[in-house]
Amino acid sequence: MESALGCDDEGEEKQQMSKSDLIIRIAGEGGEGIISAGDMITQACARAGLDVYTFKTFPAEIKGGYAMYQVRASGQRLFNQGDTFDVLCAFNGEAYDLNHARLKSGTALVYDSPGGDFEPDIPEGVFAYPIPMTATAKELKSPKAKNMVALGALSQLFAIPEVSLREVIGAKFGRKGEAVVQANLAAFARGRELAAALTKTDPFAVGQAVEKRDVVVMSGNHAIGLGALIAGLDFYSAYPITPATEIAQYVAKHLPKRAGTLIQAEDEIASIAQVVGASYAGKKSMTATSGPGLSLMSEMLGMAFMSETPCVVVDVQRGGPSTGLPTKHEQSDLFLAIHGTHGDAGRIVLSVENVRDCVDLTVQAFNLAEKYQVPVLLLSDGSLAFSTQTIPYPDPDSYTLVERKRWDGEGEYKRYQLTADGISPMADPGTHGATHIATGLEHNELGMPNYTPANHEAMQDKRFRKLMTVAADMPPAEVDAGAEEDMADIGVIAWGSTIGVVREALQRLRAAGIQAKGFYPKLLWPLPAEQFEAFGAGCRRLLLPEVNFQGQLAHFVRAETSLRPESYTICGGLPFTPDMIVTKVKEMLA
Amino acid sequence: MNAPLNHLHKVSLQSKDYKDNVTPFWCPGCGHHGVLTSLLRALSEIGVDPNFLVNISGIGCSSRLPYFVKSYKMHTLHGRAGPVATGTQLARPDLAIVVSGGDGDGFSIGGGHMPHLARKNVNVTYVLMDNHVYGLTKCQASPTSRREMKTVTTPYGGVEEPLDPVLYMLTYGASYVAQSYAANAKLTTRLIKEGMEHKGFAFINVLSHCPTFNDIDDAKSFKEASDEVPTEHDVADLDAAMHVVNLANRAGRVPTGLLYRVERPTLDQRMAELVERVGGHPEYDLRKIIDLSRP
Repeated sequence: MESALGCDDEGEEKQQMSKSDLIIRIAGEGGEGIISAGDMITQACARAGLDVYTFKTFPAEIKGGYAMYQVRASGQRLFNQGDTFDVLCAFNGEAYDLNHARLKSGTALVYDSPGGDFEPDIPEGVFAYPIPMTATAKELKSPKAKNMVALGALSQLFAIPEVSLREVIGAKFGRKGEAVVQANLAAFARGRELAAALTKTDPFAVGQAVEKRDVVVMSGNHAIGLGALIAGLDFYSAYPITPATEIAQYVAKHLPKRAGTLIQAEDEIASIAQVVGASYAGKKSMTATSGPGLSLMSEMLGMAFMSETPCVVVDVQRGGPSTGLPTKHEQSDLFLAIHGTHGDAGRIVLSVENVRDCVDLTVQAFNLAEKYQVPVLLLSDGSLAFSTQTIPYPDPDSYTLVERKRWDGEGEYKRYQLTADGISPMADPGTHGATHIATGLEHNELGMPNYTPANHEAMQDKRFRKLMTVAADMPPAEVDAGAEEDMADIGVIAWGSTIGVVREALQRLRAAGIQAKGFYPKLLWPLPAEQFEAFGAGCRRLLLPEVNFQGQLAHFVRAETSLRPESYTICGGLPFTPDMIVTKVKEMLA
Repeated sequence: MNAPLNHLHKVSLQSKDYKDNVTPFWCPGCGHHGVLTSLLRALSEIGVDPNFLVNISGIGCSSRLPYFVKSYKMHTLHGRAGPVATGTQLARPDLAIVVSGGDGDGFSIGGGHMPHLARKNVNVTYVLMDNHVYGLTKCQASPTSRREMKTVTTPYGGVEEPLDPVLYMLTYGASYVAQSYAANAKLTTRLIKEGMEHKGFAFINVLSHCPTFNDIDDAKSFKEASDEVPTEHDVADLDAAMHVVNLANRAGRVPTGLLYRVERPTLDQRMAELVERVGGHPEYDLRKIIDLSRP
């Protein structure tokens, strides 16, 4: 189930350094309020000024099945969901069984007893706290408040800010009326009392905020929606698909306030077609989907490249192939994102590391689409989609926005004029003297069909010429060198949310005396080969961890550069943990 | 973002002024020439400003039509003209939009989009040039091919029944449904003109003979099979429209003229109402939205 590669010595090391960098995992049956309890802890910690980074898994089914919500909270900046939990709150026997292997000496267990459906055999060294969650909720005549009893107990035991939690509970249930709020607060208070009656033996307590910062707490999906609004989104065409739907949900709620349009299409083919139609009409347009939808869009993405129509397509990757593992994490659409269409077509592919990137790189995606009149694909992934994180308040005025180059009205209008940089001015319908055709047929400068060898070569060259300067429009890929100036023993290349895992792994490796550097590209296509080469030149060995079977980025790195990174792939439906990277690097260097 | 609902910017131009300087590539004698002529006349009669006109097509012989009309235009993918036009229309409700395409484009590969154009009442005019055959790929059976027709893919005759485009569009909830045949320029021009003036999704099926690949239907047979709907036909009565089409189908006849027309809010109107309802405007302060995500 879980990819448990953690080793004991690492666990010890971690425990010493991070008693206040606390990871709490709540697990149980879907529908028992696991997710809402986790959300409340997240909100309360963020209110108290802590950094939070959450990780969730839930079943593909609507009711029932195993659900898990993990909150990592710290006074320090967080980059990933952590290795494994410090505290497990088990709502039922299944949750306990599934997590039993990770209940190591030194972790804490809060569980439903007496009155639950299981009596655990407590492993040695585990701090155990039985709380009668089900029984108490029944006794209070609010059986749905089992999660509130658990929340109260967790709050008492691990110093999760009580005042903030009470505020969050009030806000959450406020709409349902005062009686509901009071019932939940009563269950919460009873949970605290029950825990207070137990003797606390573990060392865990949620840390204090180092400084009060101006933050928002958002999921990756909502942050992409926000990024699009900041970028000046006018038109969004949606088709529901897990795990991308919350982007549309966010945009549907807020875009009308900005007088924009969100429409739900009949399928993904229609979605991308509508986006192309709206963009031709002069509007900033986007859609978001997951792998199966991107497969359906690939024909129109070729048309967008050929007709030079700007558009932004977000792919929140999930487990594949085919229907695959719809609610699970994977980074396996890179092949499709970069080359998925017929003919010889180009595009720009960006990938996001964290929630902050979801805002910033969505704006960047629009800027690049508008500037180069190409489709821009933004890759997110299943764990980032639902991961809520604290990020600095995104000031909308701090972003530079790019508009497409429009015809100045001088001379004869040629939609596909051959220019030095390949960029030809566009003209919105309604512009006098600039009627023209946007077409998927090969065409001359005026848009008229032309299949001569010279024309096709000149036009392909024009379209691809545009992509040559993309890397210069982006900040260079980050090199995470720590204090290393010399040749590193190991260089780790990572993309997407794996980057955050590598950041922490490198800190631990350096603490263990290993010279380690990281390389974190956000522009994946066109691949900034020179930047890769420069990084590779400073490392003795290279590792490229990614969550897919074939080693998709490693494939492109080998094809586009002289580097030969060792590919480290997993595809169990879960992200890497820092421990896994640390262990792998130590193996390589042993 | 939402423009005035009068989307037909008026100018005074002859129908020849709407011809772009590209010679139609259709075979001599092709019905599509007639459809083009009727479209140009309709544009002239309305006085549509070519700068505010967008012709959108998919793939096929008939989908080349935009090249021959002076306007903004998109030549898109096989079957996808409808959703592309939906995006353009919603983005710019002030534009006049004409979609053109064939029976294969509209009812085979693109058939899944038809119900949604109709039920959403997207304010575009869809001219289906129905020649009962795939012409550009040189004679394969289309969803409107008569069963007895022999094609490259049906050398011994077909095995499937054809569908009736107008019956589908009536069922899907199109707010304007009409039918004509290419040789009847007068009727075709009138139906396209009224379709463009209609606020909502207007569907006009034009039987357009293919002299090269369809040897069982021609200009003469389309004309002979056609019966113009009687003047007393109530175009506001959906049941009557279905009845006219069903009766004609049973008798092997083709009902021509305006079959059905109803006024109901278009998709862009509903969108504009929605924006108004939430008090939306382009300058709405993003900070008010971002503040909702403060812990």
